[in-house]
Amino acid sequence: MKLAFSIFWGALFAVLAFFWTDSSQARSILYKAAIVHTMTGNPLQPGEVFVQDGKIVAVGKSVVVPSDTKVVDLGDVTLLPGFIDAYSQVGLAGGSDESTREVTPGFSTANVIDWKDVNFREALAEGTTTLAASPGTQNVIAGISCVIKTAGTASMRMIQSDGALLLSLCSDPAQGNRSRSRPDSIYIRQPTNRMGVVWILRSAFDHASRNLPFESGAMIRESLQGKRPVFSVSRTTYDLNSLLALGEEFSFSPVAVGGHEAYKMAPRLSKAKVPVILGPLSTGGGQGPEETEPIWNQAGILSRAGVELALAGGNLLTQARFAHRFGLTRELALKAVTRQPAELLRVADRIGSLAPGLDADLVAFDGDPLEFTTAIRWVMVDGIIYEQQEEGGSNEENDL
Amino acid sequence: MKKTTFRLMLRGACFLLWVGSSLGAQELAIKGGRILTMAGEPIDGGTVLIRDGKITAVGEKLDIPIDAMVIDATGKTIMPGFVESHSSAAMSQSNETNPNVPYLTVMDSIDPMRAYFHDARSNGVTTVAVVPGNATMIGGQGAVIKTGGTFVEDMVLMRNAGVKISLKPLNEASRMGHLAALRLELDQAKKLLDDEDDGPPDPKKEALVSMVGGKIPAFIYCESAMDVAPALQLAADYDLKSILVLGRKCYLAASEIAESGQPVILDSTLVFWETDPRTGSDKKIVLTKIFQEAGVPFTFQVAASTTSTLGNNFLWYQAACAVKYGMPVQKALEAITLLPARILGVDKFVGSLEPGKDADIVILTGDPLLLDTWVETTIVGGKVVYERGKDRKLKRLLNGVNQ
Repeated sequence: MKLAFSIFWGALFAVLAFFWTDSSQARSILYKAAIVHTMTGNPLQPGEVFVQDGKIVAVGKSVVVPSDTKVVDLGDVTLLPGFIDAYSQVGLAGGSDESTREVTPGFSTANVIDWKDVNFREALAEGTTTLAASPGTQNVIAGISCVIKTAGTASMRMIQSDGALLLSLCSDPAQGNRSRSRPDSIYIRQPTNRMGVVWILRSAFDHASRNLPFESGAMIRESLQGKRPVFSVSRTTYDLNSLLALGEEFSFSPVAVGGHEAYKMAPRLSKAKVPVILGPLSTGGGQGPEETEPIWNQAGILSRAGVELALAGGNLLTQARFAHRFGLTRELALKAVTRQPAELLRVADRIGSLAPGLDADLVAFDGDPLEFTTAIRWVMVDGIIYEQQEEGGSNEENDL
Repeated sequence: MKKTTFRLMLRGACFLLWVGSSLGAQELAIKGGRILTMAGEPIDGGTVLIRDGKITAVGEKLDIPIDAMVIDATGKTIMPGFVESHSSAAMSQSNETNPNVPYLTVMDSIDPMRAYFHDARSNGVTTVAVVPGNATMIGGQGAVIKTGGTFVEDMVLMRNAGVKISLKPLNEASRMGHLAALRLELDQAKKLLDDEDDGPPDPKKEALVSMVGGKIPAFIYCESAMDVAPALQLAADYDLKSILVLGRKCYLAASEIAESGQPVILDSTLVFWETDPRTGSDKKIVLTKIFQEAGVPFTFQVAASTTSTLGNNFLWYQAACAVKYGMPVQKALEAITLLPARILGVDKFVGSLEPGKDADIVILTGDPLLLDTWVETTIVGGKVVYERGKDRKLKRLLNGVNQ
């Protein structure tokens, strides 16, 4: 009896162990696709991506894998790295601006992410697997962004809590502020015009770089010295010029965000090696923010001048498609939503291309990824497939 | 002798008339392209013959009249011009403050100089139903017009295209009050219709009376699914020839709409997400897929052109979006040509390339709905109204200033 009992338990254990090992083996899968855009070189046609435990182990035209590896042949699918939105306000709970002060460099978005925000899901379904949640533009020095995945378990999703330092070298911080006609109140703040914006920035940088007492002075100093990227929301030519001037004055290399008129000074930006994060692009009429000129082919003009550029601000796939239609090359349109934003956010060692050791963040397309009529078949984050779509259909209702 | 002379003179006169008419006739031939007629199989390397603004022949081996102007469309795609079924973008203001104005007509509000018309022509739209906006109860009469021309009077295809009715209550009002007020107006119109012999109707009520009699259609805007039932009921109660203009939440009533057998005009937002307020689960809604599965024929609206629109301000892009979510290309193209023409009751004139129809034609650089395909030429009533090569606005959008 006792023997039978132990045999029973032994058998049960063996069965469990079998399933255990089996399920862990199922975590290593070889995906075969018609085209694989690695973003590190020419596309592989056909190509294979070997994924194990949420990481890419190998990528190539033909990858050697253990004989018992599960193989998934995706047929005529095109694989791309997951898209990266380098400037996004998705997921910020409880407001993205501090309205009582104009300089808040220490404020971090990492503390306020609403992980179940439906906008993550929406971005994910369109192929965006990572985004940089960035503070708003009401403050001259707005705070620090964080880089997060759009799906997965919360503990895994934060891939960089100390992202970029966000400046707003534009008219936004001056909007809505009033002159001091009434007794001082915390709700009355500077600046009330654009000169004030530049002055506050310059004085903050000056204090910080000379070690004078200043809020989060050390943090600003380190950022200017290059510890983290410095992103500046600057759209018009005059703001971009101010940004270049400040960059020279305090010897730091900024990234221009927004940049709706950057195309007008593309050669200068190229010479100063200032990358541009464009977006969101628009096909609508009228003027852009701050009455910038609405040009369709901003991306193409910038890239021809040699400016590094990323597309951001939501709808990355549609933006890349239209940017290509309007004149950006196919390769650069894909790079502008994958590898380029990864490099600007300094997370290219984890995401943005398909190479061994990088996160298994993949988007599978039913055809040419840049055609308007091509649907996304599925989106993978850290080796797990989300947003599976039936052939030409919509998404299943599943909770993440 | 006299008789012979008379006959000769008659013959001569006939001949002169014929010569005269053929000299005055505007003849145009578009040859060499792939023709998607929307009324049968595509014709490769076919020819479209046009005379006096009308299509006279479409086919493979047609003789081109010697005096015809010829457009060589070799390697290009020739299609009927697109038909937009519901838009207020051509109007200087989409709604009157007074919510009960059946006697107004959009004809007085259309500004042919608006940027809308250039955008329409450069994106292949040749016909548009200009209809008052949704912020109204009875918003006035719409008109179907062409997109080429300087004066509205020269552009109009159908003057009384239908009366706009909205079931969305205004501002603070309730649906109870809104529907009651609407029914009251329709009851009065019905009574006027029944007493028509008693003299000419009140000019202020004329349009409403012909709508109740089914002479002109009613564009009925439903904001949410709950508005669909009253819309169908109103159509039945007052013999309305209804055209349903749907808000995006109306997809929940797709099967009821299917039963009614009518085609619909979808909201401009074709894909969106919903969060269940109770369970918190998120769901992606694809309108084209839902209505296609329910068996409801549909056409599209475009989004108002603002700084945040990306693609969905173009009718062709809406069709491409439908294809992305599983609609066959042919069906999607019909949904921006022949189907909206049918919905508006102008398919005798536009919507396909067939002899006798208006020569409203768009020549595309390649297959429709592809990323690299552009409108090369747009023709309205046999006249070229848009050429990409001469589009300075487009050049500027693509190359910037001083480039």
